Amino acid sequence: MSWKFPKLVPRSAPVILLILTLAAAVAFAAVSHLVSRFNANQQARGRKLYVQGLAAAGAARYDDAIAAFRAALTCDPANSQYQLSLARALRDSNDPRRLDEAESYLIALWQRAPQDANVNLALARVAARRGSIEDATRYYHNAMYGVWNSNPDFNRDKARIELIQFLLTKGVPDKAESELMALATALPPDPVSHLQAAQLFAQAQDSAGALAQYEEVLRLDPANSAAPAGAGEAAYRSGNYTTAQRYLRAAVNVIPENANSRQLLATTDIILNANPFQSHISDAERNRRITADFVQAEERLTECARRTAVNLNATPNPLASPLSTLQSRWTAVKPDLARLRSPAETALPDTIMDVVFQIERQTAAICGTPESFDLALLLISQKREAAGQ
Amino acid sequence: MSDLASTSNSPGPSPHPPLVRLQTPRRLFSTLEGVFHEEVFFLILSVFIGIFSGLAVVCFRLAIDWMHLALLGPLPQTHSWRLFAVPSLAGLVVAILVIHVFPGIRGSGVNQTKAALYIFNGFIPFRTAVGKFICAALAIGSGQSLGPEDPSLQIGAGIASALGRRLEISREKLRLMAPVGAAAGLAAAFNAPISAVLFVIEEVIGRWSAGILGSVVLSAVSSVVIVRWFLGSEPLFRIPVTTFKRPTELIAYAVLGIVGGLASVAFAKSIGYLRPRLRSLPRWTQYFQPALAGLLVGLIAFLGAPQIMGAGYDSMDQAMHGQFAWKVLAILAVLKILATTLSFVSGAPGGMFAPTLFIGAMLGGAVGDIERIFFPHLTGSTGTYVLVGMGVLFAGFLRVPMTSVFMVLEVSGNYEIIVPVIVANTFSYLVSRSLQTIPIFDMLTRQDGLILPSLEEDREEAILRIEDAMLPVPATILSALDYVDANALRVQDSADSIFLVRMHPSGWNTISRDQLQRLFQEGKGEHTLASTLPAQSLPSLYPDLPLDSALRYVNNYPLVPVVNRADSRKLEGVISRDSVFQKYGAQSSRS
Repeated sequence: MSWKFPKLVPRSAPVILLILTLAAAVAFAAVSHLVSRFNANQQARGRKLYVQGLAAAGAARYDDAIAAFRAALTCDPANSQYQLSLARALRDSNDPRRLDEAESYLIALWQRAPQDANVNLALARVAARRGSIEDATRYYHNAMYGVWNSNPDFNRDKARIELIQFLLTKGVPDKAESELMALATALPPDPVSHLQAAQLFAQAQDSAGALAQYEEVLRLDPANSAAPAGAGEAAYRSGNYTTAQRYLRAAVNVIPENANSRQLLATTDIILNANPFQSHISDAERNRRITADFVQAEERLTECARRTAVNLNATPNPLASPLSTLQSRWTAVKPDLARLRSPAETALPDTIMDVVFQIERQTAAICGTPESFDLALLLISQKREAAGQ
Repeated sequence: MSDLASTSNSPGPSPHPPLVRLQTPRRLFSTLEGVFHEEVFFLILSVFIGIFSGLAVVCFRLAIDWMHLALLGPLPQTHSWRLFAVPSLAGLVVAILVIHVFPGIRGSGVNQTKAALYIFNGFIPFRTAVGKFICAALAIGSGQSLGPEDPSLQIGAGIASALGRRLEISREKLRLMAPVGAAAGLAAAFNAPISAVLFVIEEVIGRWSAGILGSVVLSAVSSVVIVRWFLGSEPLFRIPVTTFKRPTELIAYAVLGIVGGLASVAFAKSIGYLRPRLRSLPRWTQYFQPALAGLLVGLIAFLGAPQIMGAGYDSMDQAMHGQFAWKVLAILAVLKILATTLSFVSGAPGGMFAPTLFIGAMLGGAVGDIERIFFPHLTGSTGTYVLVGMGVLFAGFLRVPMTSVFMVLEVSGNYEIIVPVIVANTFSYLVSRSLQTIPIFDMLTRQDGLILPSLEEDREEAILRIEDAMLPVPATILSALDYVDANALRVQDSADSIFLVRMHPSGWNTISRDQLQRLFQEGKGEHTLASTLPAQSLPSLYPDLPLDSALRYVNNYPLVPVVNRADSRKLEGVISRDSVFQKYGAQSSRS
């Protein structure tokens, strides 16, 4: 068999180069046509596999999804959507060994489009899986300020909420709170969003922020059933017992079986009835409350001493139990109760209540968190202490 | 050009229309012909070779992908009958084509290209390139454990050779067409021009030659441009983050190099052992050898390791990202050695580059993971070891140490790992060289009855230099400024018959005792030697020059001065024909 080119090349360099250029152009066009047809076929095949992969990922069959996405990528290797989906499936497959591969796909995508919010969000989730606060925060921020193809405001808030939840899980409420502040200012007038923000504020132990968000929910949707309970609890945690009582009553009215609200309401009621420093109460009422609190403190002390087998009558000394010391102080102050009615004894209520608060704090430390009246006294003491600071 | 000079030099406004319009096409061509002398033409031709080779390799890769999809499907599953049926049947077809239609396309193609350069004056039948394209695409696409790079190299060389022959270029240039095309084909296949150029120089040409370097580079670059135009500039693998922090970790990479060297030897020896034995079997068995190899490779895949089929780049990519446990990596490395040996020795056309990278990748990952079990403080990731492992097998099995280093760097685009790569590759190369004296490509050519030059052998060969054959500075050196009778007196007591004469102001000459006496007898005793000797000085040599360079002088001059490079008037010794031949004789009797 003979394989020969037709003899058409004259021995002239310019002519040869001209013919070669023409031949190269023709070959280039032919290969272009071939490649584009091949690529079109491959892309069609890739799309089919991609759809299979999406279905498998949707059903949490990640191994099947990964195989399908990989096959789709062999058909269309440069397709960033396939790469992103494969990276997500690798990440979500709960196999730590696959995180590296997921990350390398995402990094490659990120290098091509660093502003892509979806890629940054996926990278943030990989970093979150690894527990890297710094990387996750950076990528979540990139996602928030990146380019979203649709619904940018909603997606940005969602990304920020995800970051806040991640930070709260990792035990960094300070960072979470600063993100919450930013979130709160940009939230749309939507009760659902504000309710979610309120819950996050509560998780971040920012009761004032939570209360503000719950109140916003109630402003936007006065019939909201979850907001009164949340607002009541937030007000209770922030020591705003009058407000707490109002919201908790509303919550119990809306959902009577809400045990938490009922318990908080009961404690709130006691606080509001037992607090001698409450404004707008008469002197007689104040003295009554002080006396009742003083008696209750002694009962708590005795009960705690009994549970811990401490003899309260022992002579106070540096080695004695703190409960004995408190008993001595309580005994020493007891005669002063009689002088409460005297207008000249302006510092006496503080002195007496100081003993009460010391007893409640110390017994809480030794015998655990109290209930009912003692819990109310403990909370009053904490509020008083916070106000003093 | 004369038209151009006269026109441009004429003062004032030109009476003629612009130059280009003046020239007829024929005159323009004749002007251009003057510009395109052979060297320039060869360089331009290299670009075209690169373009055509690049286009051919693009089609070759599409053909492999298409075959793979058509025959095995986009996602080969284990325990599918297709895994062993397809390579077996395709092997049968390939065998028939190789035996009846395209003889001479067996194997990788590197040696055939080298043989074209050194034996066949650059001749590679175009039919071979076509056959290689079809059969290699079928073999690799059907799952034989072979790679597309070496066939791409031969396809490029075949195109270049055919083009050179058709254009009737000189025999000297035609001989160089094959390596130029080979570089283009390999660069296109690997998407790595530097590695391709180095490989062609290390393995195909076998020596550094400035004359061809430009053409090889031009063809490699132009073919890579074409491939990137059509297939994109994505690297073969997604490179993971690679790290190298502590110099003490080099010990771990040295261990990888040693293991890689041993694996290279096992791989090379298994091919070296099986290939001649299978070839010596009756001719009718050759119809079934590729089919049997395909069946065995398919069975390995069927039983749970489909990763070993074809080139295996996807699996390398996954290994690089820690997708396999070390046991799986080690098993895949062993199975790939087995599968590639079977596929290659069966005569199925296909290359060993990709399988070598695969084995190295798996071995590197396995060794790295095992090392990290015992030494958890090692910071190198699995991906780093996989990358280094690729170079290790390349250096140990193909015995191309420079290409192996640059290949890893070019593929990874990461220079952080250059030190681990160099260390591991060096160990692998040394271990392989000490246990397997003959490199794989040389072994294959010798099995085929050919002896081709090898750069490794050249490197090993001790080079004789001028200083090795140099005689000491003669006791009697005459001066050209002295009179003939004074010089004659000076040589009276000397045992030598030829004397070196120091010329003024520089240079050397020689005169024999007889010549001197004759001058004296002719009454020229009061003449200076300078006036009686020819004005032209002797050539002088330097001690570090190869001894071969003395050969062109020693036949014409009885003594050749050897001078210092820093001071050419300072004589280091002399060279004579006898001293040169004695040295060559002594060396050949030693070897």
